[in-house]
Amino acid sequence: MADVAEAAAAPGKAPGPGLAATVRRRWRAWLRAIHRDIGYLAVGFTVIYALSGIAMNHIDDWDPNFHAIELTRTIAPIGDELSDADAAQRIAAAAGVTGVPDDVYRAGDEVRLSYGNGTKLTAIGDTLTVQSRRDRLFFRVADWLHATRGKQAWKFIADVYAGLLLYLAVSGIFMIKGRLGLRWRGAALVGLGLAAPLGYLVVSGGPGAQKTERVATRPGEVDPPAKPRAGADGITPLPPDEEPAKR
Amino acid sequence: MREPRRPDLDRYPELQKAWDRRQFIKSAAAGTAFMALGGALVRLAGDDLTREARAEKRSDGKRRLPPGQRALDKLRPMGGEEGDGEVRRWKLRVHGLVKAPFEIDYAGLLKLPQVQKEVDVHCVTGWSLLGGLWKGVSITTLAEKAQMKGEARFAIFEAAHGYTTNAPLKEAMADAAMVTYRLDGKPLALAHGAPVRGLVPDLYFWKSAKWLTGIRFVAADEPGFWETRGYHNHADPWKEERYG
Repeated sequence: MADVAEAAAAPGKAPGPGLAATVRRRWRAWLRAIHRDIGYLAVGFTVIYALSGIAMNHIDDWDPNFHAIELTRTIAPIGDELSDADAAQRIAAAAGVTGVPDDVYRAGDEVRLSYGNGTKLTAIGDTLTVQSRRDRLFFRVADWLHATRGKQAWKFIADVYAGLLLYLAVSGIFMIKGRLGLRWRGAALVGLGLAAPLGYLVVSGGPGAQKTERVATRPGEVDPPAKPRAGADGITPLPPDEEPAKR
Repeated sequence: MREPRRPDLDRYPELQKAWDRRQFIKSAAAGTAFMALGGALVRLAGDDLTREARAEKRSDGKRRLPPGQRALDKLRPMGGEEGDGEVRRWKLRVHGLVKAPFEIDYAGLLKLPQVQKEVDVHCVTGWSLLGGLWKGVSITTLAEKAQMKGEARFAIFEAAHGYTTNAPLKEAMADAAMVTYRLDGKPLALAHGAPVRGLVPDLYFWKSAKWLTGIRFVAADEPGFWETRGYHNHADPWKEERYG
């Protein structure tokens, strides 16, 4: 379509009288056809982004990623004289968890059991805490896709989708002419859609309403050299950090 | 705009579809508005915790619940790239402007002097958890152990996957500021930063880095992950310093 439009607009290369007329006559139909096909393409993305967006908007009301379980039980305290295996057996039995833990870790007044499925059992004195969770159907993966932090290829794909959405939005304005288009209904609804964010900016004062502070840029970091092993107190002395470059 | 008159559908049956669509849109809009309003009313009506907290004051004279916050009865998982959560592999590096930088493991952390304090925390998204009993090691203890130099002005909290956040020493070394591994007698859940997270109670909660791996003392401020993405560099809940 762009080629045709350029050809129609280029003064040096005047197209045949039929082409310019065709462009003038057909551009809206082409716009609609492309809008339709991009709309089909965008369905999957839109469902994922919209539903995960709603889910994450309300993250302070629910956990959009996991069904998390946390239970506590009162148990007989695990004495230091018990071996790791015996302690693990007693804790697992109290929690009603079967299977062999991947790790049994004891420190201070804690005994912690970790299982391959992510379940954690922690005994602190006479309290046993069971922490477990499982993925929420759909939302776990949708939320993961929504957040592009740390992703490479998906960030690019998400940019392409954003570009497609922009096309859908802008082409939508021009798809229909007359009273249902920009002459009345279209213009009114576009105005309403713009009024919502603009109105909120005016009412809330926008980001400028918050006091801003000048922020410094972050100096580069240098990898630390190899470190000595930890002592019995769990503390490993480290060499001093490299001085950051003067700016 | 005048309410459109119902067309004579018996006489013009071809208008039936358009009329049905209009009615559907009206019903959908009304239903959405009703549900949104209903949800807001339910939240307002049932929120005794928030009402009570709004009536309280702190010992420093500030309102207990900062403006724009509502009180919840438990922490909410706010996302982020989780660390692996395993105590056996966990280590904390205390470094930067210190004379004796060190790295400590979980067992070592539990051998240091412990603190346990009732602390309120305030999330920038608008919820607060009041009176949680947090246990851990004071950041002052860690700074003393590392022999922090006098020119240090800020603490940079380092966490899994390169996350950082910054806090002036005034808040980072406040009385209740600590690295914490226990809330209300229970270990932290992975979603809340297990095994150890920072706790800087007088700033919005994103300053209390989850999945903590290091504390670096610096002279010049270094805005971290959220601070360089539009959130406030200081983040005082009582001044509603949410966005920068």
